[in-house]
Amino acid sequence: MVKAEIINGPINFFPSEDNRQQDGAELVFNGRVRATEHGENITALEYEQYEGMAEAELTQLAEEAEKKFPIHDLFCKHRIGKVEVGETSLHVSIWSKHRREGLDAMDFFITELKKRVPIWKWAILEDGSRIPSKCDH
Amino acid sequence: MIKIKVKCFSQVKYALGIDNLNLEFESGTSTSQLEKFIRRKANGELDGIPLRIALNQKYIPDETELQDGDEVAFIPPVQGG
Repeated sequence: MVKAEIINGPINFFPSEDNRQQDGAELVFNGRVRATEHGENITALEYEQYEGMAEAELTQLAEEAEKKFPIHDLFCKHRIGKVEVGETSLHVSIWSKHRREGLDAMDFFITELKKRVPIWKWAILEDGSRIPSKCDH
Repeated sequence: MIKIKVKCFSQVKYALGIDNLNLEFESGTSTSQLEKFIRRKANGELDGIPLRIALNQKYIPDETELQDGDEVAFIPPVQGG
């Protein structure tokens, strides 16, 4: 099963589960906002989405990952709007029988997300100005 | 004539200073002609920036003739995560 959501506000993490008898691996990835970009201090990032298309692409990508790798579940939340330094902007949980397929699925999912899901970052600088982020990692 | 809505994001929004454009073109106008129009309007600020095209919220791989009522977005490199 997959879940993919775009969230405008703090992310409530998917709960860890103790009752999965066929899943030997539970992987959790939290992407967080760093305090610097290209050596310049920032106070926050503001995430912009193409409303509708972003969630559709995120869902399609999660479904692709679930087909491509033998995982059981992939749940994802991506935040939009202003995200302060240190806060989580991306939360992904994957459950699989063994760690390898879960790790591979996580790498595929995040790498592809950064290529095709129409979400962008604006850097909020210390003087309050807002410019398109130069970060492409 | 056909009416086209262009959605602007990130560097495109920054270059044009606007969220959306409502435009009218001759019938038969293609996505690549629209892209040239947008790049000209940006006065060089989009030079060197690759733009993928989303037509009615789906990526399209090739040049397509626009239809009345289409929504087009020129997608600069995305930055999710």
